[in-house]
Amino acid sequence: MSGIERILAIAGNTVREAIRHRVLYTLVFFALALIGTGVLLASLSYVERERILQDVGFAAIRVFAVAIAIFVGIHLVHREVDRRTIFTILSKPIARSEFLLGKYFGLLVTLWLQIAVMGAGFVVISMLAGAPLEVAHAAALGLVAAEVAVVVSVALLFSAFTTPMLASLFTAGLWLIGHLSRDLRALGAQSESDVVRRATEAVYRVLPDLSAFDLTVHAARGLEIAASDVVMPLAYAFGYATLVLFAATWIFERRDFR
Amino acid sequence: MSERRAVVSVEALSKQFQGGIGRRAKRALRDVTFSVREGEIFGFVGPNGAGKTTTLKILMGLIRADAGRATVLGHDVRETEFRRHVGFLPEAPYFYDYLTGREVLEFYARVCGVERARRRERVETLLEWVGLSHAGDARLRTYSKGMLQRVGIAQALVHDPQVVFLDEPMSGLDPIGRKEIRDLVVRLHAEGKTVFMNTHILSDVEMLCHRVAIIVQGEIRYEGDPHAMLEGEVRDTDVVLTGVAPALIESLDASVQGGLRGVGDRIELRVPHKAVGDLLGKALAAGAEVVSVSPRRATLESLFLTAVEQGGRQ
Repeated sequence: MSGIERILAIAGNTVREAIRHRVLYTLVFFALALIGTGVLLASLSYVERERILQDVGFAAIRVFAVAIAIFVGIHLVHREVDRRTIFTILSKPIARSEFLLGKYFGLLVTLWLQIAVMGAGFVVISMLAGAPLEVAHAAALGLVAAEVAVVVSVALLFSAFTTPMLASLFTAGLWLIGHLSRDLRALGAQSESDVVRRATEAVYRVLPDLSAFDLTVHAARGLEIAASDVVMPLAYAFGYATLVLFAATWIFERRDFR
Repeated sequence: MSERRAVVSVEALSKQFQGGIGRRAKRALRDVTFSVREGEIFGFVGPNGAGKTTTLKILMGLIRADAGRATVLGHDVRETEFRRHVGFLPEAPYFYDYLTGREVLEFYARVCGVERARRRERVETLLEWVGLSHAGDARLRTYSKGMLQRVGIAQALVHDPQVVFLDEPMSGLDPIGRKEIRDLVVRLHAEGKTVFMNTHILSDVEMLCHRVAIIVQGEIRYEGDPHAMLEGEVRDTDVVLTGVAPALIESLDASVQGGLRGVGDRIELRVPHKAVGDLLGKALAAGAEVVSVSPRRATLESLFLTAVEQGGRQ
């Protein structure tokens, strides 16, 4: 049996666990409800109703997808250790890296399914409200999925060596900073201090640049999106998540499970 | 049995757990050395906190040793692939409770690389083997502790391993559950599997194990055949006689008379093991009838407690 099949076995079980977890259905329900409230908010405005509707919709999808990624991601490894299910898994012919990748892809598939459900809700409400739907909307939604791939890898990294409480704080903090890191670098570049410029540049290089995944404004305003606006962030997400998963595996390989 | 190859070999294994902030480091294992031979039921015995589970987790690759070497089936325990020939039941096992008994076994079979065509058949066989066919479609959250233990046994065997490691398999089970697990262990042995059993239930060790190692405070105190260990420890023998004449009692020496209890012409004597022949000769010559002769052996428990007490004094 190849490593890929073992990864698929772990991933399949992770998806099955999420599907049988009612809390996630509740979160998706609230996300859909929030997308629906965009109609209400849009009705309060005389101008750009469609834009308000779609801004609220995209914000709801992004926030709930990331919230679920953090909420579930930080427990991915910790729950296995806490409930001692990890003993029976890791005593089988499976490498720790395969286990970790299986958990990662399992959660990612779950989140992408949820984003698809929320996206379908967004499309239905946009159609009912007569708001335009273009390729840009699909691209924006695809980049939310890519952003979630980065967030899950970070949550998994922290989950591999710390408590869920700390992991949630670290991951949520990194997500917030990740959306500000580009602005931080721009601010630092204007500084007269070489140290500040170098420090902000270094922070930008190390922390994820999550604003690269935000095409909401383009989509909602009907602005043109170049292929590089999508391809580059996708490549960045792949590279960043791969590096973080390497780090998570390196830490996880050295852990004792007492 | 002694000619068989060692399937588990542990050499000078040491492990120390770092304490948290303000806590002292704890040495869990110190130069632990022992081996398990092919086809035997091996008991790894020790009190709580002695280092049994730490040793087992090192063998399963869940904990890394600081020093020493451990191999299973000739492979370093840090490798992965050899585990397709090894089964493990952890202490008080917990499984994915959102799965059914059948689903959880299929999942483990898939992780172990059991071919899809064989998987279903293997799962059904094991469910029947551990007496859970009727509950195969129930979620594990509805299972009792005994049923979970049996699922644990089944998942350890799902890939038909050569060596099975059981960590406190009788822990927390009622007498019927314990007997079922004992029967399963005997059956595994009959199928030619090597069984490594962590336990502190000494009656199970006496009943099941061909060889044992006793570990106390992270150090091996004894390794060998538990029955040979007990046979060397016969000190006294209880003898019951009837039809005993008073003259016979008077002829016994003081050490024997000290252990004398009797009602009417029936007496019970506790005599040094070496004096049994002399006593029986005198009794038969005096016309007494021998009812029973019972050598008093040290129990594994008494030897175990002695080992623990010696450890405590050091």
